[in-house]
Amino acid sequence: MDDARRERLRAWLAHAAGDPALGVATAERLAGGAIQQNWGLTVRFGDGREDRWVLRTDNAATLAASHGRIEEYALLRAAHDAGVTVATPLFACPDAEVLGAPFLVMRRVDGIAAAHRVVKWEAVGGGREQAARAMGRELARIHAIRPPRQDLPFLGTPPDDPCLAFCEAQERALDAARDPHPILEWGLRHLRRTAPAPLAAVLCHNDFRTGNILWTDTHLAAVLDWEFAAWGDPHADLGWLCARCWRFGNLAMEAGGVGPRAALYAGYREAGGELPDPERVAWWELAAHLRWATIALAQGERHLSGREPSLELALTPHIVPELEWHLLAEVARREALAERAA
Amino acid sequence: MSPALERPDAAELLAAARAAVLDDLLPALPEPHRLVARMVANAIGIASRRIAVNPARLAAVEARAAALTGASDEPLAALATLIRRGACDPGTDRHRATAELLAELARLRCETSAPKTLAGG
Repeated sequence: MDDARRERLRAWLAHAAGDPALGVATAERLAGGAIQQNWGLTVRFGDGREDRWVLRTDNAATLAASHGRIEEYALLRAAHDAGVTVATPLFACPDAEVLGAPFLVMRRVDGIAAAHRVVKWEAVGGGREQAARAMGRELARIHAIRPPRQDLPFLGTPPDDPCLAFCEAQERALDAARDPHPILEWGLRHLRRTAPAPLAAVLCHNDFRTGNILWTDTHLAAVLDWEFAAWGDPHADLGWLCARCWRFGNLAMEAGGVGPRAALYAGYREAGGELPDPERVAWWELAAHLRWATIALAQGERHLSGREPSLELALTPHIVPELEWHLLAEVARREALAERAA
Repeated sequence: MSPALERPDAAELLAAARAAVLDDLLPALPEPHRLVARMVANAIGIASRRIAVNPARLAAVEARAAALTGASDEPLAALATLIRRGACDPGTDRHRATAELLAELARLRCETSAPKTLAGG
């Protein structure tokens, strides 16, 4: 961050915090975030106190499906008010003149999110059982946020049929891809044929998975990355978290490679969630493979289009064949079950 | 392989480059750059497997798709369209042949992009 931008930021933060003497002692770029830029700030107030904040702003090209920082701030506020464990949201700046793009500021929370470390960590969140329970409680609190909400107008009208709406969105994503993907179409067609009946929509985080949850060795420290949140079927979040493709190799721990599924569901019930329907969760676990695949294709397109050349983005679509492999196996298993039942 | 061009060939050079990244560069790099080095090695690995794919196998998959769909032009796109329309659903004549073709296509794609998957990883 150059001196001019840093001074504009300082002045804006001083005004927002109501402390003209506020200073920015350090500003460092944080790792992670294919979509956002994250900055760690140490601020010093006029009275000498210090605080550590995180500033989130957008990179040049963003995924069409993701919210901007101002919307993410509104979601964080709603989640915070509903008792979800998030970094305390502090300010949002819609004015692109300050940093070149809108940004939000929240209090910094310490912890570990890196998925490959988290799934190998026996003490995660106080132990695997406790960690899975904690995730269940967070999801139940998120799902207690129901439409209509005047503070979340950008989420639009809730879908009458969240499963069908998902299938339609995936069709559009496959249509936007450069090449045909018959295996993904096969999975999508199976999902369409076996979609469960509509449920009333609730707020879904839509990226609640290992890697987006901050942990210490005693507790769940924060639920991160709210930019995909939308009205939907609450089982979508449970399926995304439990899907094989998001267990990071620790397949036995069905709740995100972190802990047991039963503990996840117990925590979900404990915080007021309805008992999850295993059939619905299974549908959404299969759906998770398709959705991750189409996200990976969209990330690859950012590289292929020349808009954002990046080795990381170039490699991402190469996850698709592995997702297809597991998707084919799961469709075959489900078709065999249906045939036996018929 | 044509003797008109010098050895090592593309596959041999890529293998040597990948080994140099993993064995020589990676241990010497500070942590923030290690991920990039691993991505470079991964990209070289995928590229090496991709140039080793037997074109006859790709042609055979496309020929099977053409036979299934009746479309000699862009048969995989035609197959995708038929699947979406439900023309390959369980209970249809095409179902079994489509499932078998997709299994072979998935294997081919994993051999290039994700060989560990085929080993059960």
